[in-house]
Amino acid sequence: MTIPVGAFIAVSSILFFLGVTGVLVRRNAVVILMCVELMLNAANLALVAFSRRAGSVDERGSVFVVFVFVIAAAEVAVGLAIVLAAYRNRPTVDVDEVHAMKG
Amino acid sequence: MVVGPFGLDPAIWAVLRLIIAIALAAGLVFNGALAQIYLERKIQAIIQDRVGPIHTGPWGLLQTFADAIKLLGKEDIRARLTDHWFFLAAPAIVFSPMLASYVVIPFAPGVVGADLNIGLLYLTTLGSMTVLGIVLAGWASNNKYSLIGGLRSAGQLISYEVPQILSLVTVVLLVGSLSLTKIVDGQGGWHVYGLIVPLAFVTYFIAGLAETNRVPFDLPEAESELVAGFLTEYSGMRWGLFFVAEYGEVTVVASIITTLWFGGWHGPFTDIHPLLGPALGVLWFTLKTYFFVLVFMWIRATLPRFRIDQLMSLCWKLLIPVTLLNLMVTAVLLLAFPGTHVPVAIANWLMLGGVMLLIPFLQKRRLIALRQRLETRRLALATAERPR
Amino acid sequence: MSYDFLETILFALLTIGIVGGAVGVVFLNRITGAALLMAFTFLCNAGMFVLLGAETIAAFQVLIYVGAITVLILYGVMFTPQQHRPYALFFQKQTPWAALFVAPIAIFVALFAFSFRDSAHPTPRGGDLVPLATSVFKDFAFPFEVASVLLLAAMIGAIVLVKRDEDE
Repeated sequence: MTIPVGAFIAVSSILFFLGVTGVLVRRNAVVILMCVELMLNAANLALVAFSRRAGSVDERGSVFVVFVFVIAAAEVAVGLAIVLAAYRNRPTVDVDEVHAMKG
Repeated sequence: MVVGPFGLDPAIWAVLRLIIAIALAAGLVFNGALAQIYLERKIQAIIQDRVGPIHTGPWGLLQTFADAIKLLGKEDIRARLTDHWFFLAAPAIVFSPMLASYVVIPFAPGVVGADLNIGLLYLTTLGSMTVLGIVLAGWASNNKYSLIGGLRSAGQLISYEVPQILSLVTVVLLVGSLSLTKIVDGQGGWHVYGLIVPLAFVTYFIAGLAETNRVPFDLPEAESELVAGFLTEYSGMRWGLFFVAEYGEVTVVASIITTLWFGGWHGPFTDIHPLLGPALGVLWFTLKTYFFVLVFMWIRATLPRFRIDQLMSLCWKLLIPVTLLNLMVTAVLLLAFPGTHVPVAIANWLMLGGVMLLIPFLQKRRLIALRQRLETRRLALATAERPR
Repeated sequence: MSYDFLETILFALLTIGIVGGAVGVVFLNRITGAALLMAFTFLCNAGMFVLLGAETIAAFQVLIYVGAITVLILYGVMFTPQQHRPYALFFQKQTPWAALFVAPIAIFVALFAFSFRDSAHPTPRGGDLVPLATSVFKDFAFPFEVASVLLLAAMIGAIVLVKRDEDE
């Protein structure tokens, strides 16, 4: 292995912060969900990279990654269900327009 | 300095071997598709008591070439599309995972593209990427009926992945490894896993029929005869690519069945000669695979197709409980009696007999319940429509 | 002959894929294009896992993310069509503030990440499949069961949320 672990961590952090930017910036709820998935991917990459750096024999970092996969899948399902239910109420997925509970 | 075969550097040989494997796989897929299209038409014809193609070439053997040339010459119709790039990309996304599946299948002892130690997981992963291509094909056609056909097909594919994976895992429990070469090496002679876990074979066969969109699960394609399916807007060679992908996928499923349940390349005389033995292994493998392909075609010519709700209820209410039960029983018996496969075999055959006896029983009860419901509804309508 | 430069080339290509895909997801206005670029990012991430020697995790990544989550997101995109709008309306009202807060933190973290100079340990013989499976089913059996209950709850919740009331 000639690539330093720091390079993987840097890629993971760039991906994570691009995801954060997307969540803060975009209006479409489905795109926000997509950016949350990007953040989860970044976390997975960081987990595996650090697990490899520590040379863990029982692959504990990868075990945690498996659970992150499970949670990401469950979250996308429920998140999309919420978006679709809201869309059925009023046909918009614009998060700036869903402010009925404000104030 | 380590010297690989033919005097090459082992790293270069690895790359060369991969390229040869890919070229062989592509050749196998396209020639196999040609052969299978011809076989399909002839077998359907024989079962339906007619002759099939007889005019082009002796016994109509050149019919498929004529069809291919016709498809190549067709006009590339482009409807008013939403996404032109997705329309073009969808056949590629459906075709590529199928081609990549041939890399891990062992054709003969030592003749395998890449002996991955996660071979089966790799195959299921590639199977799940096909769904994306079909959803894209339905979406990019800018046609409501295409979209619905594509989404229905995607739902069917995703649902039937579960019994597929559970059946595969049942065999993995017997072997202890996901590597396909180890699974084949564990069999030999009459000791094949088809005789030990036949229920897993039956459920994988049914799930494989559904995964490749074959009759009786071909509602997404057959809709194109009635209304539209995700293939509607595709004409010419793009449609041809979808069909080559389907026949290639059928061959992959048949290869997996052969490898996991029927001994793969095992057969008489495979170890007589270092060069001739593997060739015979390839021959046995091809014969077994094409036997299952012919069974697929036999089923296509014989059975009617399911409605989408019947299809889904078959998966979720019958196949998934049966495969889960099979997996649990196999795991428990393997733990209780380590080192021997006999209790697993006995339990599996008993469960297979039980499932086959259970289905008519359940169907009869469901039919009685349906008749009762229809009767009550008819009575309710009759009493409600009485004039005031 | 050492082929280590191949690793570096592959890493560079995968990085370009990941970062390019992510930038496309955040800034592209055509949502279906964004969804497919997200799938491309997932594939490149799987490639990164293979580079790190975790091929089972790479296979799971493709199976779950590309095979299932991308399809879910595409369903969400297809069932919520929006009218065409000017590009500025794709971003929320607080965009400049968000960029202002995120940029310094991001740069600081990315620079800090490069301080990890040591390279990864060599991958174990036989890959990571057996140690991973042993850990999941022995040490982490209870979280595994909890995860399955979580999936069941999510499935039931999603179905209940999207179910239409039966018109009787």
